[in-house]
Amino acid sequence: MSESKNAWKLRDVIMMAVLGVVFAVVYMAVFYGGTAISTALTPFGLSAFGFELIYGVWFMAATLAAYIIRKPGAALVTEILASAIELLMGNSGGLTVVLTGLIQGLGAELVFAAFRYKKWNFLSMSLAGMGSAVLIFCYELYYLSYYLLAPGMLIAQLAVRFVSAIVFSGIICKLAGDGLAKTGVVKSYAIGASAKTGKIYDEED
Amino acid sequence: MRSINPACKFAGLLVMTLVLAWWHDPVLNLAVFLMSVILILLSGTRVRSLFLMLSPILLFAVGMFFTGYRFSAGGDMPVNESTMLFADSAFVNGMTLASRVLAYGGVGYLFALTTDRILLVRSFHKQFHLPQVFAYGLLAAWGILPHMIQEYKRTRAAFRARGLRVFAVSPALLAPLLVKSIRWSEELAVAMESKGFSGKEKRSEFEPVRVRKRDWVFLLVCCILFPAAAAAVLM
Repeated sequence: MSESKNAWKLRDVIMMAVLGVVFAVVYMAVFYGGTAISTALTPFGLSAFGFELIYGVWFMAATLAAYIIRKPGAALVTEILASAIELLMGNSGGLTVVLTGLIQGLGAELVFAAFRYKKWNFLSMSLAGMGSAVLIFCYELYYLSYYLLAPGMLIAQLAVRFVSAIVFSGIICKLAGDGLAKTGVVKSYAIGASAKTGKIYDEED
Repeated sequence: MRSINPACKFAGLLVMTLVLAWWHDPVLNLAVFLMSVILILLSGTRVRSLFLMLSPILLFAVGMFFTGYRFSAGGDMPVNESTMLFADSAFVNGMTLASRVLAYGGVGYLFALTTDRILLVRSFHKQFHLPQVFAYGLLAAWGILPHMIQEYKRTRAAFRARGLRVFAVSPALLAPLLVKSIRWSEELAVAMESKGFSGKEKRSEFEPVRVRKRDWVFLLVCCILFPAAAAAVLM
């Protein structure tokens, strides 16, 4: 490993893996919630919207990890790890959940790369979420045969997904990241370097 | 299914899923779903627990059926000839979307329920050359999952002791969990580094994960026989 600023350290890898585990659990929980919503919408034939509403949750691991670590690849790798762990916990989407993780992570990664990993604000994070949303939607057109659905329905789905991406991976991830920075636990990562923190009391203190 | 090399199983089943995505045939999808269920049961999962796990995808499949039934794309959609066959029939359209949810879910559970997690990571390290930092980082992170669950329960109990009612997924419960998890991850990294782990050292293995003959047979079935059979039946 070179000593460059962007090289992976063990710390970063474990951080990504831990975020992967946390979000895998969140994804599972949200999946059941989404199933409940979409079941309620089933009689109207709007079942797919149940997941569109909360779709942004699935982009959170990528944006939050990138926001904390701020290195190239963090979004992509964390999203893949989260989806792989989700698969192992018994996910219902099947093996390709890892592929979707890759695609979503790539969407976020491309947006952060477009900002040259320098802009870390609400705008870049929302755009990253939307990047994930666009890529995963293209994939679903094929994979879930969504092209069998009427075009108006598809546009409506994409619009709802964009809003969801902004809410979850833009607003909530930004707040979560800033909150973490304030507690001081991420002091050794890029995000915590600039944050003002008080004294941290550890359990062992 | 349990004895197949996890990396091979992953590759084989992934190819199988992609093949399924290529064909839009409800019968093929349902056949794959049934086969997965049978294989899961054969490898020792109880019927009751399997049914509990499958219930969300069953519900979702019903939901997709009605979505496909109500909102099918008209005949003027730019679809290719293989999809034209059913694009005009709302019922078959719904069936296709629903059965595909079942097939993917079935294959996914087949993988998840018959694979040992630690063996999988080791197998990815060995067969797919996953870098050591990731392999052991992932195992370490996996190891703190029980701590996370306990922490979650503890925070919940703390709120209950104070007579406060909190949501199962409220931020009041999740925020401390996230902070703790990140602190653990930091401590884990320091601990691993202080014990000399750098990800670069050569290491020996107690029990190497190998690719055996039956793994090749499995790959052959998934990657060649299955697509060929599907093509032969559907063409």
